[in-house]
Formats: sequence, C-alpha cells, structure tokens
Amino acid sequence: MKAHMAVLFAGAGLLVWTMPVLAHHSFAAEYDADKAIVLKGVVTRIEWMNPHARFYIDVTDDGGRVTNWNLELASPNVLTRNGWKRTSLQIGDPVTVHGSLAKDGSKMANARTVVLPDGRTVFAASSSGNQ
Amino acid sequence: MKKRFTRRILAALAVAGIAAGASLSAASQEAAPRAKSAEKAPPGPAPRTADRKIDFSGIWSADRNFTFDIHDALKKGEALPLQPWAEKIARERLSKDDPEALCLPTGVPRQAPYPWRIVQTGTHMFFLFEGNIHSYRQIFLDGRKHPEDPDPTWYGHSVAGWDGDTLVVDSVGFNEKFWFDFAGHPHSQQLHVIERYSRPDFDRLDYEITIDDPGAYTRPFTLHGHSTYQHNEELMEYICNENNQDVPHIVGKDPRNRYSKPQKPSGGSR
Repeated sequence: MKAHMAVLFAGAGLLVWTMPVLAHHSFAAEYDADKAIVLKGVVTRIEWMNPHARFYIDVTDDGGRVTNWNLELASPNVLTRNGWKRTSLQIGDPVTVHGSLAKDGSKMANARTVVLPDGRTVFAASSSGNQ
Repeated sequence: MKKRFTRRILAALAVAGIAAGASLSAASQEAAPRAKSAEKAPPGPAPRTADRKIDFSGIWSADRNFTFDIHDALKKGEALPLQPWAEKIARERLSKDDPEALCLPTGVPRQAPYPWRIVQTGTHMFFLFEGNIHSYRQIFLDGRKHPEDPDPTWYGHSVAGWDGDTLVVDSVGFNEKFWFDFAGHPHSQQLHVIERYSRPDFDRLDYEITIDDPGAYTRPFTLHGHSTYQHNEELMEYICNENNQDVPHIVGKDPRNRYSKPQKPSGGSR
C-alpha cells in the first residue's frame, strides 16, 4: 500500500499519511477487486459522512443515456489523514474514478483513485487490497 | 479552479508534514522527545505515573491481525482450537451479519481499523475507540473484583493488576453477540480474556491476549499483537451508523476467508 500511494502522489511531489486503510466491513464481500472499472462523470452529490464518505456521479454513455453511480471512499477520518478536505470534491466537478465494482450488480463502486478536474490523481483511501 | 486546487495541495502538504513527523505548535502533552531532523531518533523510555507505574496513556495504532482473522495473531504454525460447533458457525456466518458491518461494537479482543486512545488514572483505565463505534472500554484499577453474576455485555467487566511493569487485565461477563474478526470466529458467554500489556519504550505497546472459552474452544490460546504510538494525532469523530449503506450490498463471505466457499451474486438490491 505504501508503494501504491507513493506512486499515486509522485506527480504531485507529496508525502502522504500511511495509516493502514481497512473498512468496518469485509471489502471483498462487497466489492470485487478483479472487476476494475473506470468511470468518467460529473459529481452530483457528496456525502462527507461515516462510515464511508461517498460521492455520486452522472455518467453519460455513447447513446446519451445518463446513469448515476454511487462511489465509496474511505471514512472522512481516513481521507482527512490522507490530505483530503470535505471540499476536495465539488458538485459539478468532472472526474474520472478508478475503482472496483460492487458484487451485487448495483451501480456502486469502491473508488481507488480519483482524477481531479485539473488532471491530478489522488488516492481515494479505499480499503481494496488491504484485506 | 486553479486556486481551489492550490488549496487542496496546501492541505495535503500540511498533512504530509504531520506524516513526516514535523513538529507542530500544538504538540500533545504526552508527546515524546522527537528528533526534528528527517532521521528518526530512537524512542524514549515508557513514561511512568507519579507512583512509578507504567503509564499507557496515549493514542495507539490498530493491529490489523486483530481485525481480519485472529489466526494472524497466533504464533506461527498454530491454529485456533475451535470446537466443532464453533467451526461450523464460522463457516456459516455471512459478512452481512457481522456486527461490525452493522456498526455494532467490536467486543474484545477484536480491533477496528482506527486509532484508539488509552486514558489511565489511578483507579481506572479507559480505551477510547474512534471506531468501529465511537465507544469506550472501562477497566478498573482500584482492586475491585468481578461481580458475582455480571450482565453479559459487549466489552465485559474488566479488572486489572500489575505483574511488575506488565498490566494484567482480566475480563468476564461478555455477551456472545460480537465476532472475533471478519472471519466470524465465535465465542460463548463463558469467554474469559486475560490481557497482558507492556510498554517496552515510548512508542510501542505490546499485548498478549489469552482467550479461555470452554464454551467454544477446546483449550485456551494466546494472541500476540502490538500497537505504535501515534505522534501528533488525535481521535476524530466517527459515527458509524450515520450513513451505513454497505450491508444490503455485502455478498456471502470474504473470498479470502479461510472458510469461504464460492458465492453467486445475489442480483442486486436495487
């Protein structure tokens, strides 16, 4: 994980907090680390709450159909310890999310990294790969 | 947009400064002497109370060996001595039913993946948990005994005494509701936990935890773990049940669990 985070932040020249990231539930019983997904969309809602911060994005497919996705982050505490702020994402921000799909087929994913509007990639402090 | 991102980077840099151990103006009162250079100085000795007892107070990291599967906290080569019914229930339990996923307490000795604080006084010790629920464990240091017939509770009834510089915590009176880990290892209300805490230096907390539960295991076994002092850290609020959306989406058991069997997706709840 340390190496993973270091790579993600290398472009920004940052050090990051390396507190272990685990969820309060079994990550792998909810998300499939083998089902990676990349979602490009616009932020529609942000829930800076426990046990996981969440944000929602509208993803428009090639046919113009819009789907709203629910994206899980770490807890606000873990995010804060990794340099996030509650204002790091804003409604209307265009973002690209790399994550793992929910196992139950819902329009949900656990975000691993988020590419911000200016192109920077930030660690989403998800619990994948830690359990 | 550029201005906002600059603010984000500055915030991240501030946190990075904390991670690098840079000195802060508001250092906590129990902060140990720290080197200001990039080189990490060896930790100082464990602090002591006015009556020369080891003072365990401070913020400590979680030990993940007490989170996912307590097999990880056994000595290498050992296995949990589960009674047949206990192994059967561990195989049958589904992650969606884990009390921790439902924002209920960890019980003992399970740990949530969040820092925790020890507050030690002459008569009490409190473990203040940031997560899994924002709760606390109370340990009596005043010489009292366990009640004759304690009501079963999530954290039990804990009394402690000293064996030299080691604090020995004896706990009974647990309910059977909590799981020992994500794996779903069970216990019974006969659970008796003996924890031996030591602080070999300022930064390190060691613990040996003996689980004696003749209701679920064939013999006592001992778990080993340690925590690291979290310099320049404070507990943060964590109200687990504020927005717990996970449970309806949890499918089967964790596939990396030793008791897992292949699970088919349920098809979704939406």
